[in-house]
Amino acid sequence: MLPELNTHLLSVVTFAPLATALLLLAINCAARLAGATLPVLVWRTFGLVASGLSFVLSLSLFTGFDLKEPSFQFVEHAAWLPSWGIDYFIGIDGISLFLVLLTTFLTPIVLVTSRHEVARSRSSWVFFVLCLETGLLGAFVSLNLFQLYFFWEALLVPIVFVIGVWGGPGRRRAAQKFLVFSALGSLPLLFAILVLASLPIAENGALLFNLVAPPGAGGAGLLDLPIAVDGPIWWQNQAWLFAAFALAFAIKLPLVPLHNWLPDALVEAPTGGSVLVAGVLLKLGGYGFLRFAVPLFPDATLAVAPLFLCLAVVGIVYGSLLAMVQTDLKRLVAYASLAHLGLAALGIFALNTSALNGAVLQLVNHGLVAGALFLLVEMLHRRRSTRLVSEFGGVAKPMPVLAACFGVVILSSVGLPGLSGFVGELLILVGAYLASPLSAVAATSGVLLLAAGAFWMFRRVMFGPIDNPENRGLIDLGLGERLVMLAFLLPIVGIGVYPEPLLRRIEPSVVELLRRVDSRTQTRAPSEPAPEHERTLVIPIDPSDEGEAL
Amino acid sequence: MIPESVFSVVLAPIGFVAIGAMLVLLGEVLLSRTKSFLGRPWNARLIGSVLAGVAMFSLLLALFVSSQWFATGDVQVFNPQHPLLQLDRFSALASVLIVLAALLSCALATYYLEAVGINHAEYYALLLLSTAGMLVLVSAIDFLSLFLGLELMSLPLYALAGFDRSRLSSNESALKYFLTGSFASALLLYGVALLYGAIGSTSFAALRAEFDPESTLALCGLGLVVVGFAIKLAAVPFHQWAPDVYEGAPSSVTAFLSVAVRAAGVFALLRVLGLGMTTGADAAIDSALASLAPVFAALAALSMIVGNLMMLIQNSVKRLLAYSGVAHAGYVLMGVAAGGSEAWAAVVFYLVVYTFMNIGAFAIVVSLAQRGRDSDRVAAFAGLARESPGRAALMTLFLLALAGFPVTAGFFAKFGVFSAAVNAGLAPLALLGVVMSVVSVYAYVRIPVLMYMHEKDEFVGRAAEAQSGERFVLLTCGVVVLALGVLPNGGTVFEFALGEQGFALWLPPVLDWSRDAVAALVP
Repeated sequence: MLPELNTHLLSVVTFAPLATALLLLAINCAARLAGATLPVLVWRTFGLVASGLSFVLSLSLFTGFDLKEPSFQFVEHAAWLPSWGIDYFIGIDGISLFLVLLTTFLTPIVLVTSRHEVARSRSSWVFFVLCLETGLLGAFVSLNLFQLYFFWEALLVPIVFVIGVWGGPGRRRAAQKFLVFSALGSLPLLFAILVLASLPIAENGALLFNLVAPPGAGGAGLLDLPIAVDGPIWWQNQAWLFAAFALAFAIKLPLVPLHNWLPDALVEAPTGGSVLVAGVLLKLGGYGFLRFAVPLFPDATLAVAPLFLCLAVVGIVYGSLLAMVQTDLKRLVAYASLAHLGLAALGIFALNTSALNGAVLQLVNHGLVAGALFLLVEMLHRRRSTRLVSEFGGVAKPMPVLAACFGVVILSSVGLPGLSGFVGELLILVGAYLASPLSAVAATSGVLLLAAGAFWMFRRVMFGPIDNPENRGLIDLGLGERLVMLAFLLPIVGIGVYPEPLLRRIEPSVVELLRRVDSRTQTRAPSEPAPEHERTLVIPIDPSDEGEAL
Repeated sequence: MIPESVFSVVLAPIGFVAIGAMLVLLGEVLLSRTKSFLGRPWNARLIGSVLAGVAMFSLLLALFVSSQWFATGDVQVFNPQHPLLQLDRFSALASVLIVLAALLSCALATYYLEAVGINHAEYYALLLLSTAGMLVLVSAIDFLSLFLGLELMSLPLYALAGFDRSRLSSNESALKYFLTGSFASALLLYGVALLYGAIGSTSFAALRAEFDPESTLALCGLGLVVVGFAIKLAAVPFHQWAPDVYEGAPSSVTAFLSVAVRAAGVFALLRVLGLGMTTGADAAIDSALASLAPVFAALAALSMIVGNLMMLIQNSVKRLLAYSGVAHAGYVLMGVAAGGSEAWAAVVFYLVVYTFMNIGAFAIVVSLAQRGRDSDRVAAFAGLARESPGRAALMTLFLLALAGFPVTAGFFAKFGVFSAAVNAGLAPLALLGVVMSVVSVYAYVRIPVLMYMHEKDEFVGRAAEAQSGERFVLLTCGVVVLALGVLPNGGTVFEFALGEQGFALWLPPVLDWSRDAVAALVP
């Protein structure tokens, strides 16, 4: 392989889609001046090639990942705006690796499957999806807070277009609601980042945005910087900074009182948009907590962890209950997402190795499951032009393959052993039990509710007599659709059967994260014994045990 | 005998622009008397194009001289016995920016004036005279020349605002602008008189040396000067004139008015305060003038609140952009209040960016004007993406830049002033700015939502094709907004060798230029 590609692998993965999109746009403009238009086929082909290339290269991130290295790998560092302390600084660890993979995996699928649904401005659709992919990847790989914000805010624009231009009947309202909720979260984040960067200015007179010190360049990172717990200036205290970070991430996660935008956005977006929003965008919330909010502000995190555990449990139960009573399949999947991500939030704030491993796995699993479910719902919708549960019944007879895929995905989403959902859920619930038994019990009941709701829906749609004559002549999945489903089922079953390759990559980074949290905690006096839920952090679960236990 | 100082290089940019104005006026009189030229019949449109060419040529000369002067970095004073004007990097950069804004406005006007039926060549003469006034204003180092520049800037603008004289709202605009503008001048002049009474001199240097914060007279004087500037910048609570004037004036005038006046005003304000900066790059403003920081902070806070909130309920794009201008004045004043050379460099950078993004947005409004009337209703943008995708995309770009989204220059501009405010301990003010930015996102995004997500309003006629001048402006502004949005401090984007020759795409270090300009302020 080219030597330059090896040193810039992560950059290529991140920017290949954007570069292709811009190139196609330039050619398109030139063609328009000449009075011609670039055929949609060219857009789609090159878009697919670019995102496919990104996926293939990201697989080599997976294989080339060093299992022994708990810190960041594939690091690239260059000056961007040195006078403002802004660097181009990217790298991944075990936590972001799988989110990057998830993004590069879902984007080509979105480009392939959206052919039928996206009826107009198809070339713009490809353009925005490619921009969105780079935005999401950029946010996942940034190790400079400024850069994180840059991507975080920039990716809102393509999403708003995806929802608002190609969405359903309520798309305009959903797009605006999404934008306002996101801006509400991200601008306080900007403020907090600015305050954080200005903290070391008294010492060396320069702003600091790097999360860790870039290798070879020396200096310090924000994670080496003590942040006051009870300082004299209120806006420099952990509590306020954490509040601003948490607001941004909790809106994306979403945690319960801030979830209002999610069902609208997911339901009104075109299927490709729903897949990317549910599959990847929501992961930014959980990822933001894991990478930034928790290690930067450990004291604040520990102080509010009980509250967030509580909110997470409320999210699980509330999402499950609402999913149960939905009449629209897409809305049902949207509320189920709320429950699943509540589970991930539970894992994050339980703050121990097993729970955090589970949370990362759950993020990945939810990306796969939600993506697959939205696509399956769209396959039904394309055939019947409706998504109402009551319109279906006995679909399994004319469409056995769809029913089988749907069944496997549903089972994974409710956590059947042997499928991807189980591993994450089990680890989270075990970890949550160590942190707070009550929350684990409540969460388990929520998961049971979700399972009940999902099975009930599945029974009503797939089994029973065919009441509606329109369902009798449904055509089963075509070859293309079967291949797409296969692409989802492989990792779903694979992770469920053999999660070790993932856990072995996630675990060291999680242990490193907990070590950081532990060493940066200021409020606990050294002599004082660690509280119950924290004592578990020093007992990392051995990856080999994990594999055997499962 | 003419003293040698009259030929000073300090006057060169101002001179070119002023001579251009005279030539345009003269040319109009001569050409309109001639029935034909070289066998071809004259008409108003041809005369307009020729004189626009003359005007742009004189602006280009001024641009060349100022940018050359910026490159050398020398300092030259006009009339050393009683220094009135000073050409240094600060005034050179300010002149470049203002002349660029005037150039873009000229290019924007050529077709628009014809379309709206006001194609008189005086337009260019007035524009050039006003530009000359701004150039005086930004290089003034004495209150006398400052006032001279202020008046030379404002008087032609009053006439320009009412240039569409058959339209009632244009007349109203001119009258309102004239009345409030006169108040501003009078207050400023009164303030200068009080300062003169307290200090005994009108030069900024004397103000710096002898300002006594205990003296009520001097404080009152300085306060009145600040009020005069605040009116020119349309900072709340002195903003009431802006929406009406912006809405009534012809769109190409509004484009110029909204950016150039604000830029010139802020540059002059920095010069007045800047001579109060202590030596040493990062020192905050002097204790004498530090008392003004809370005043600017209050003006900034009010402007951000009122400007952004009022934007939400506007139905006219020009009014929306007027309130957006008020809000942006607030962001700029936040940077001014923060003080220190780094903060002021951020302010200068902000002005550069604001010039391009705002003129770009107005260029869209201008290019959508239909024959015989302005079209500035927000509803007129519905479904524009289908009809003219290029302009819809550019309008989205400019509005996102105004809202401060990344990958546009507006983001770095906002980031700079917010960062400066936080570093100067004005974090609550920055927080207010951040919260108000959320509000502004909603207001700005209304237009892209209309353009891309709504169908065309059947009562709106088809938008005219963009003309070459407008295309030039749109393209320039678009490229600048995007380029500064990725690399605000320039650098080599890519380079390649072709045979012997090496080629490189290189972007200018605008942020460093802003720093250099502000460095010239420190005595």
